[in-house]
Amino acid sequence: MTTLPQMNPFQNTTRMRSSRSKERRRTIYMWLILLPLVFVVIIPLVYMTAMAFTLESNQLNFPIEWIPQPTTLSNFTHIFADTTLPIVRWFINSLIVSIIGTVVIVFLSTLSGYAFARLEFPFKNFLFSLLIFSLMIPAAITLIPVFLLLRDFKMLNTYQAIWLPASASVLGIFLMRQHFYAIPQDIEDAARMDGAGRFRIYWQVCLPMVRSSMVAIAIFSFLLLWNDLFWPLIVLSEREILTLPVGLLVIQQGSYIQRGLAFAAAFIASVPALIFYAIFQRKIIAGITMTGMAGQ
Amino acid sequence: MTSYTAPVDKAAEMVAKRRKKLRKQLPNYFFILPHYLFFVVFLLYPIYRGIQISFYDWKIMLEDQKFIGLANYQALQADTVFRESFGNTIYFAILTVALNVIVALLVATALKQSFRGSNFLRVLFYAPSILSVSVLGIIGTRIWDTQLGIVNYFLVTLLGLPRVSWLGQPSLVIPALAVTTVWWTFGFPMLVFLAGLQGIPEALYEAAKIDGAGRLQTFRHITIPLIMPTMLFVVVTQFISHMQVFAQPFIITGGGPGNGSRTAVMYLYETAWKFFRFGYASSISVVLAVVMIIISAILFATMRQRAEY
Repeated sequence: MTTLPQMNPFQNTTRMRSSRSKERRRTIYMWLILLPLVFVVIIPLVYMTAMAFTLESNQLNFPIEWIPQPTTLSNFTHIFADTTLPIVRWFINSLIVSIIGTVVIVFLSTLSGYAFARLEFPFKNFLFSLLIFSLMIPAAITLIPVFLLLRDFKMLNTYQAIWLPASASVLGIFLMRQHFYAIPQDIEDAARMDGAGRFRIYWQVCLPMVRSSMVAIAIFSFLLLWNDLFWPLIVLSEREILTLPVGLLVIQQGSYIQRGLAFAAAFIASVPALIFYAIFQRKIIAGITMTGMAGQ
Repeated sequence: MTSYTAPVDKAAEMVAKRRKKLRKQLPNYFFILPHYLFFVVFLLYPIYRGIQISFYDWKIMLEDQKFIGLANYQALQADTVFRESFGNTIYFAILTVALNVIVALLVATALKQSFRGSNFLRVLFYAPSILSVSVLGIIGTRIWDTQLGIVNYFLVTLLGLPRVSWLGQPSLVIPALAVTTVWWTFGFPMLVFLAGLQGIPEALYEAAKIDGAGRLQTFRHITIPLIMPTMLFVVVTQFISHMQVFAQPFIITGGGPGNGSRTAVMYLYETAWKFFRFGYASSISVVLAVVMIIISAILFATMRQRAEY
């Protein structure tokens, strides 16, 4: 390949200086272009935060008070004091179903993905094409049958109602299958020579090599389960078992309208998620991208 | 005699060999069995079952359900709410996907350049996607509110324009919901496009630069054609997910004004879980599925043609 002259910074210092000022110009230029979008993305979040700390009596003030006068915690104390709105319980419920669902999905995806990538068995292609077929069918068609099934199993208003149907998801299998394919056969052969059985090869040799895609599937599944409103709304109705998204709906559409309460609840639901996102942003972005690309 | 038994021996040997191979392969089923169990019970069987229920006058309290053939589908043809909600859904999906693709592709093109803060912006632009749709609903209600809303606040105070009743007019409500949804979801296609753009060899851009191509020309003749496979994926998956929109109109508008923002899945939800007409609701879901499969197939066919240049 050709070597580009500016690749060597020691050769030409003037060139380096000019490229640095060029970079600064580009930075300013790009920020100017993207600044409107930055505002559009941030403003609703700022608004939510402001309203969460605004007195109920000031909720209808216009023009909007971006910094509430006075700033108050009363919306939060109201929520935590109201026993009919067990928001902490909802938070924990969400956490439980999301974690169980994620663990099960990741585990099953690696098992199946491994088998479809590296093992032989009769009807393998047929069984795999059934998985592909199911991807093309919109989820709307399975809503009613799965609801009836859970009702017959007496599982409505339980955690299982959320994570059991989620375990059937197939997207993770595709990603795992792709990544198990990439492992060289030699490594597996060597392990077999050492007398390792197929389960040990899967568990101790291959699984550690696909850790990054396991993390990707975990992140993707967790976010889906954590944010889902539609399915929990259908299968959960008792206050104590609701997940956070359904709980927020209860607060927002309650018989008495309390705007400040709804925003405080939205704030409580969002901040831990956003903090978690900020801490693990690199992993999360990489995971989302990887899962997104896997479908292709 | 010996020459007569030899092939039999060989055949028997082959059967034995195959049986041995099968016995060796059978334990492999344990790997797929756990998932397949869930898959059959909660996905494969329900697909069949959903179609079946749509031929019944299914009521949740009854022991014996009444088979009525195609009557549900005939009733759908005369159902104006159904037709309206389907029209809304398709309009919403097309608008949302189009806006999402345009915004996501432009932002991804900008963020592909490395500059100070480009990584931060990427993280920031994906942030709304982390929020639950319920949070989006609570905020969205107030984004478009006529008296107190954020959009009208800027219209009135910054531009001195009169207030607009965004959610009160049938012509504006779907675009308003689409824009809200784009705010929430453009981060995902942005990331996918970004990965796709980074896969385009830098040498092509260098060559175009040497040939004196401008920025727009490069975008039109290099970026667009090479991003087509990614575009196909984004458009089809986005379309499938936005055709099943439920929560945004359910929370923000309640389907109003009139049926102006009632969507197909919302109508399905109400038919099944408000009025408990499961058979009729199933026929809605089957029609929705068929429409989605047909449109995805058309999208796939036309865009694949474009992708092969």
